[in-house]
Amino acid sequence: MHGARTNNPSLDSSLTPSSDMHTLQVQGVTKQYDKVLAVNDVSFEAQPGRILGLLGPNGAGKTTTIRMITYITIPDEGRILFGNERVGPKSQEIMGYLPEERGLYKKMKVGEQLMYFAELKGMPKKEARKAIAYWLERMGALEWVSKETNELSKGMQQKIQFVATILHDPKLLILDEPFGGLDPINADLLQSVILELKNSGRTIVFASHRMEQVEQLCDDICLVSKGEIVVNGPLNEVKKRYGKNTVLIDFEGSDAFLDPLEASGAVRVNARSTRHAEIRLLNGTPSKHVLKAALEHVSDITRFELVEPPMREIFVTAVTEQQGEQAAKAVQSGGGLAGSKAQGGAA
Amino acid sequence: MNKTFIVAKNEFLKRVKTRWFVFTTLLGPIVLVAFFAVIGIVSVSAIEGGESTIVLLDETGRIAANLEDPEGDITFVESDADEQTLRQDVLDGTYTGYLVLPAGLIDGQGQARYYSTEGGGVSSFNFDLRNIIRGTVRTLRLQDQNVSAEVFDIINAGVSLETVKLSDEGEEQGSSAAYAIVGGIMGFLIYISMLVYGSVVMQGVIQEKMNRVVEVIVSSVRPFQLLMGKVLGIGAMGLVQMTFWAGLIAAGTMGSGAIISLFVDPANMDLPDTATQTEILDAVGFQVPDLGPEVFVFFVIYFLLGYLLFSTLFAGIGSAVEQQQDAQSLMLPIMMPIIISIVFLQAVIEAPNSGLSVALSLIPFTSPIPMVVRVAMIDVPIWQLGLSLLLLTGTFVGAVWVSSRIYRVGILSYGKKPSLKEIMKWMRYA
Repeated sequence: MHGARTNNPSLDSSLTPSSDMHTLQVQGVTKQYDKVLAVNDVSFEAQPGRILGLLGPNGAGKTTTIRMITYITIPDEGRILFGNERVGPKSQEIMGYLPEERGLYKKMKVGEQLMYFAELKGMPKKEARKAIAYWLERMGALEWVSKETNELSKGMQQKIQFVATILHDPKLLILDEPFGGLDPINADLLQSVILELKNSGRTIVFASHRMEQVEQLCDDICLVSKGEIVVNGPLNEVKKRYGKNTVLIDFEGSDAFLDPLEASGAVRVNARSTRHAEIRLLNGTPSKHVLKAALEHVSDITRFELVEPPMREIFVTAVTEQQGEQAAKAVQSGGGLAGSKAQGGAA
Repeated sequence: MNKTFIVAKNEFLKRVKTRWFVFTTLLGPIVLVAFFAVIGIVSVSAIEGGESTIVLLDETGRIAANLEDPEGDITFVESDADEQTLRQDVLDGTYTGYLVLPAGLIDGQGQARYYSTEGGGVSSFNFDLRNIIRGTVRTLRLQDQNVSAEVFDIINAGVSLETVKLSDEGEEQGSSAAYAIVGGIMGFLIYISMLVYGSVVMQGVIQEKMNRVVEVIVSSVRPFQLLMGKVLGIGAMGLVQMTFWAGLIAAGTMGSGAIISLFVDPANMDLPDTATQTEILDAVGFQVPDLGPEVFVFFVIYFLLGYLLFSTLFAGIGSAVEQQQDAQSLMLPIMMPIIISIVFLQAVIEAPNSGLSVALSLIPFTSPIPMVVRVAMIDVPIWQLGLSLLLLTGTFVGAVWVSSRIYRVGILSYGKKPSLKEIMKWMRYA
C-alpha cells in the first residue's frame, strides 16, 4: 500500500502539512428546536493530527452538533471555527462527512456518483478522476466503477460512501459510525486509512457507540448527554481522572465468589464470563479484598490487574451520574454530589 | 463552478440519459397523433358507414330510379312487398333498413320515413341519407318546372362562409376554430407538464430524502442551492421536451390543411372528387392559422414560469413527507388552481376576452394555461401580459422563499408526517 501512496494525488499535500492543518473549535454553541434544547452551550476542540471521539447516548445532541459543524444547520448561539474561520460554504469544501445513515443514489453508477460528489466539493474533474481511480483501487472496488449502486452489497456501498467522504482530500473528517456493517477485513482496511489520514495532519471527529473502537482510535474524547458536555479531554487524562478503580481477573474454577462480593456493596461486576471478570471497586474498597475472596474460591488465578476503567465504564458512569443529577435538580434546586463531580470532570 | 449549476447539470443529465426520456419525448406526440388519428378514422368510418342496403317503398314511382349514393356505399333496392314483410326483413338483418317515400313528397307533402334497427339520432349516416334524398327530390322538382341546366348549376353552387379575425395589426384571415385548437393543445400541454414535471421534482426530493443521500449533499451545498438546482435541472429537461413538442405543433399547424383535407370527403361539401386541398379547406371554412412567433415564445415563457412556480412548491411538500401518499393531502391546496384553470379551459376558448378569461389569466396560480390559450387565439393587450407575467414571477419568488425554508428543515426531518401547522413552524426556524 505504501507504494500506491505516491500515486495518490490527494495525499501528496500531506508532505507539507503545516499550511493546511486546522483546528476545529466549537465555542459555546446552542441549538434549540421548537421546545427541545438539542445542544446547550457546548464547547470543545478537535486538533489536527488527532482523532476526537464524539460520544453520547442516543438523542444526546451528537447529530445536531455534527450538522452545525458541517454547516448543514446554523447554531442559535455561539460559533464554530475551522482554521480560525467560521464554518460556511468555504469550509464545506475542505470537509468530509460520513453520516450514520448511509445513502447513495441507487440508480447512478458508482463512478458517476463519486464524480458528482467530488464536483460538489469544488474539485476539478481531472483531479477527481485520478482520486476516484486511486481510492477505488485502494478499497479493492475498482471493478465496481460502472455498476449501479443497487447492484452492490451493503458492505460495498459502505466502502463507496467512505471513498466519497475522503475523495476531495478533506482537512476535516467527520465519521459517524464508519465501521458499521463492515466485516473485520474491511474494517481493518478502513482503520488503516483513517490512521493514515490522521498521521498526515487531518482533523478527525469520530462518532461511535462502539467503545472498544473509541478506545483504539481516539486521542481525545468529548462525551455529550442531553445536549451538554459531560466529559471532555485527552482520552488518557480522562481515564486517569477516574483512577485505577477497576480489577481485571482471569481465573480457573467457579465464579460464585463474585455474588457475595457484589451483594455486600463493596464492588460492582461490570462483566463476567467463565474465566474472566471486570470488577469496579466501590467506596474505596481495596483491591486485595477482591483478591482474598477470589483466592478462597477459585482453583487458580492467571491474571489479577488493577486498571483504569474502560471507556464503556466511563461512558455509563458519566451519563448516569449526569442524568441522575438532572433528575435530582428537578426534585430540588442545587446539584447532587455525584453531579458536581461529573461537571468538574468536564471543566 | 456554481453549485446550483452542478446540481442542475446532474439532475438534467441523469434524466435525459434515461430511456424514459427518449421514449416520452419521441413517443409522446406519436401517441397523441395516434390518438387523434384513431378518433378520426373511427368517425370517418362512421361517415362511410360501410356497405348498407336499403329497400325502397317508392309511392311516387319516380324517385327510386334516380336515387343513387355518389359514394356507392348505400345500395337502394326497390320492392313491392308490404311494410310488414320489410319490417321483418330488417329485423332479420336481410336489409339495413327500409325507406318509405310517400306519394306527395315531390310536391312538398308528407315526409320520407326511414326504418332501421339503429333508429335515428344524429349519425352521419342519417345525414348522408337525407342529403341523397333531398338532392334527388330537388332535381325532380326543378325538372318538373323545366328549369334549364344553367340555373340548375347556379342553385347547386356551394356557399361558403369565411371568418376573419380583426386585430390591431389589421385583418387576419384564418379560422378561429384552428386558433382554438392550437391554443387548447398548448394549454393542455402546459397543464400536463406542470403536473408531470412537478411530480418528477417532488419524487426526486422524496427519493433523496429516503435514500439519505441528502445529508451528504447538504454538507456540500446549501439546501437552497440543492432545491433550485433540482428545479432548474428538471426544468431544463422539460424545456427540451416542450421545445421539441412546440416545434411539432408549429409544424402540425402548417400542415394542418393537409390533415384536415384527409378527413373531409369532398362529396359532402358539394365539391367534385377532384377538388384540390385549398378548395376543400375553403369549403370547410378552415384556414391554416397564421401564428406569430410570439405565440410560441409566450408558450415557452408561461410553461417555464408555471413549471417553476408549481415544482418549487411541490419540492417543498416533498421535503416534508417520506412517502408519495403522504404528500397527497398537502398537494391538494396547490393543485386546486391548476384544476380550476383546466376546468375553465373550454370557457376561455369560447370567450377569450370575457371577464372570467381575463381574470384567470392574471391570477398568478391560474394564469399559465388560460393566458397561453388567449395568446394563441387573440391579441392580448400588452398590459394584461405584463401584469400577468409580473404577478406570476413575483409569486414564484415568494414560492421559492417559502419552499426553501420548509425544504431545509424538511429534508432532515424523519418520523411522523408533519401537520400543516408544524410545517408553518419550520419556516420560522433560524
